Amino acid sequence: MEVGIAVEVGIAVEVGIALEVGIPLEVGIPVSGARRRVVADDADPQAAGVRPRHARQVRFTPFGAAAQQRLATSHALIVGVGALGSHVADTLARAGVGRLTLVDRDVVEESNLQRQILFDEADARAGRPKAEAAAEALRAIDASLHIDALVAHFDLRTFERLPARPDLIVDGTDNFATRYLLNDLAISSGTPWIHGAVIGAEGRAMVVLPGETACLRCIMPEAPPPGALDTCDTAGVLAPAVAQVAAVQSLEALKLLGGLRDQLVRGLVVIDAWRASTALFLRDAKPRADCVACGARSFPALTEDPADVVALCGRDAVQVRPRTAGDVDLAGLAARLGDAVTGVELRRGMLRFALPDGSARITLFADGRALVFGSDDVDRARAVYDRYVGLGGR
Amino acid sequence: MTVTIHLSPLLHHYCGGGPDRRVQGASVREVFAKLELSDPKLYASVCDETGSVRPHVNVFVNVESIRDLQGLDTRLVPGDTITILQAVSGG
Repeated sequence: MEVGIAVEVGIAVEVGIALEVGIPLEVGIPVSGARRRVVADDADPQAAGVRPRHARQVRFTPFGAAAQQRLATSHALIVGVGALGSHVADTLARAGVGRLTLVDRDVVEESNLQRQILFDEADARAGRPKAEAAAEALRAIDASLHIDALVAHFDLRTFERLPARPDLIVDGTDNFATRYLLNDLAISSGTPWIHGAVIGAEGRAMVVLPGETACLRCIMPEAPPPGALDTCDTAGVLAPAVAQVAAVQSLEALKLLGGLRDQLVRGLVVIDAWRASTALFLRDAKPRADCVACGARSFPALTEDPADVVALCGRDAVQVRPRTAGDVDLAGLAARLGDAVTGVELRRGMLRFALPDGSARITLFADGRALVFGSDDVDRARAVYDRYVGLGGR
Repeated sequence: MTVTIHLSPLLHHYCGGGPDRRVQGASVREVFAKLELSDPKLYASVCDETGSVRPHVNVFVNVESIRDLQGLDTRLVPGDTITILQAVSGG
């Protein structure tokens, strides 16, 4: 016997006011020996081609075999595979999302290991590019997945050069410039995206469905000015908070890629991990008519030059990116640097060196982009770049 | 009338005090005027020099954004909660 009842599934919420965020579900309650039949009623997992590793999530009735099959043919673009991105990538890969594209400009450092779950000490010692290290870790989890790793700063050019258009974009970034770019790309192209952000023990997550729900610009018309907010440097970040935000992003991604759009949580999820509090604001918020992206269909991040020198959140580092594209002759530059610098290390696609006084370390990539470690002073980083790399290296 | 201001952790951790404050006021504007006197650092992180809410800050009365209500002139009733959320950058 199986009884269908409507159950209000509440997310415990505490924001000073009592608030219940309900997700109405039709749940079949197994009364006696009905558990097997609940799955069989949806679809026989094996008959539906579900792999044994996904049996448990398929057994969860609201998800089921049909959603699992859709996952297998879906494609998620994860921009940034640091804290949030590595958690989300891990979950989506294990869940069976057939294709993942990982984009990250950064390299693994020891300070990442506290919260960036796809990396280990060997990655940090080697200073491996995060996208490559993450892709390798994911392939070890499921070798059948199609995973592309792009070691690059994410910009419009990167997006346009993707080998395939994604069904979903996931925000694993740590800066607003890239988030607004993701937003504008998503709204202009009609691609859903899932915003996520975390600092300290606090986080945000929000599904953006172009034309259906409010976008990032709807809820925050302008990015905070430099220095207006705490960063990972000043406020730190706790891994459990990262995990909570990434869990929301991941689950909404699975619903969306699984074709369960009517089950998506629509609104701004606000997480205070320290107080075990989760709240939903802007529930069912629609695109705003006064939003520059949703209303005016103007996409500033697609037309304005991005900052070419940006401080990296929590890294004591600055990324310097030359305005003009072009490959750098790394070997030639290494030879020219000679003993003007120390610790020269030339590897495939990467040149590392340090200033003689130890005040900065530079990792230069073949596309001319550099990470200048040792300070978050963007002007100083630009000067270091100009002094040791400059146009002469390209 | 008494309402509650609920601050996101990033705000209350760095402005002192706990997440909730009890304040008197008949509108959001009145409540913020008192906040400016009692906690100018917090106020400055929420509103700019003109008194407008900063673009990267969201203010809610209960669960509705004041941008969807009457802005700073949104009227309050006893027991309302004003939640102030600052943008979060990291990831």
